Amino acid sequence: MSETLQQLLDISIFWEYRTVLLRGLAVNFYVFVCAAIVALSLGLGAALLRVSRRRPLRALGTLHVEIFRNAPDYVMVVWVHFVLPLLIGTLLHTRFELNPFVSAIIALGFVYSGYFAETFRAGIEAVPIGQIEAGRSCGMSDRHILWRIVLPQVVRRMLPESINQFISLFKATTIVSLIAVPDLMYQVSMITQQEMRPLPLYTGAALVYFAVILVASYALRAASERWRNKIFA
Amino acid sequence: MSEVPTIRVVDVHKRFGSLEVLKGVSFEVHRGNVVSMIGASGSGKSTLLRCINHLETPTTGDIFIEGESLCFRGDAAGSRAPRPLSEINRMRRDLGTVFQQFNLWPHMTVLGNVIEAPNRVRGLSRKAAAQLGGECLARVHLEDKALEYPARLSGGQQQRVAIARALAMQPKVMLFDEPTSSLDPELTDEVLGVMRELAADGTTMIVVTHEMGFAREVSDRVMFLHNGLIEEEGPPDQMFGAPKSERFRQFIAKYLY
Repeated sequence: MSETLQQLLDISIFWEYRTVLLRGLAVNFYVFVCAAIVALSLGLGAALLRVSRRRPLRALGTLHVEIFRNAPDYVMVVWVHFVLPLLIGTLLHTRFELNPFVSAIIALGFVYSGYFAETFRAGIEAVPIGQIEAGRSCGMSDRHILWRIVLPQVVRRMLPESINQFISLFKATTIVSLIAVPDLMYQVSMITQQEMRPLPLYTGAALVYFAVILVASYALRAASERWRNKIFA
Repeated sequence: MSEVPTIRVVDVHKRFGSLEVLKGVSFEVHRGNVVSMIGASGSGKSTLLRCINHLETPTTGDIFIEGESLCFRGDAAGSRAPRPLSEINRMRRDLGTVFQQFNLWPHMTVLGNVIEAPNRVRGLSRKAAAQLGGECLARVHLEDKALEYPARLSGGQQQRVAIARALAMQPKVMLFDEPTSSLDPELTDEVLGVMRELAADGTTMIVVTHEMGFAREVSDRVMFLHNGLIEEEGPPDQMFGAPKSERFRQFIAKYLY
């Protein structure tokens, strides 16, 4: 009995497969970074629409936020990978397929753009109007004020909240295995099918994710606090 | 005077919804003049100052900066179109504004605040802008704080940085909107002191203020606003020595205690 348990818990199998598992983890990071870039750019765009002076643009921004913030990421991944190509293919009368990487990055990027848009918007609205008027009265254009006065402060203000969102996004990258993106979870399930030893493999995966996220979030928080303290005394 | 006035305000009205804050204000400020605008809160003096740098658009009327219309662009045919924002921004470079709330940019150092617009709006090189910025900081006696962040400075120091930032645009006129109203009493003197020095150097200034001592001693001309109109104006000695209107008499009586 104890021997069975020992064999069950023996995590050394995880070490045996380290190269393929590390490659899987690298895929997680790759999807994370690309989806984060998509999410941040679209999120900024949607936030700028939401603070626009024109009502139709504001409505468009709100629509974007509400659609993607309320879409479950799993559903989005499946929809983008399986339904969107069908739609496009039917419209163009051709066969159309999306690379699983591309689907994963688009789906996660759009879902998280909804969250980032709200964080950006809160940060933009927190910049006192007087600072913007000070820029205007020096003859700065709106674009100059946005890039040099508003956004540098927004980034600092939104850091603590966006660290949480980055963590959620990183966790969400584990569902891309469902559309056969070869990430860590995908590799673990493949190896499990060969070895029939789910316990050490899945436990190992859980520990790896846990360690990566814990270390990264502590490092990011410490760095962001030091950077913020200089100006928000 | 035959010279073109630095600022000419012509029949400016400003309406917010049903509330008419300015009911037709006209005056001129010539080069080297120091004009103080005083009056109770709600009299329209801050709104008037904000119209001069187009942070508020006058409902009717116009402002001329060295003879050039701020609100309208006339073409050869004589038709008038509202001036586009890009041109207003160009004209704003000639107006240095100091706000009640300082409005420094907290993510930039003191020097960064001062050289941002000279560098990126006027197009001076970073080196030339830094040189100019240093000179402007010296004029407000803060050259040793160049590398601090605004959050580390006192209110009086922050307001002096804001003055240096406005000076660095080498404006034709400096606009002060209640520059000491959000300062503790012991910090107002350092700011007023800097403003006295600017006035003595011949800087053209329009100052909205509640500091009657400053208005009386430093200005060439005082304007008393009441309910959106200039109720009384003149040289400070005459204004404070022999006030003509009953309202102005009542207003200054409150400051004599």
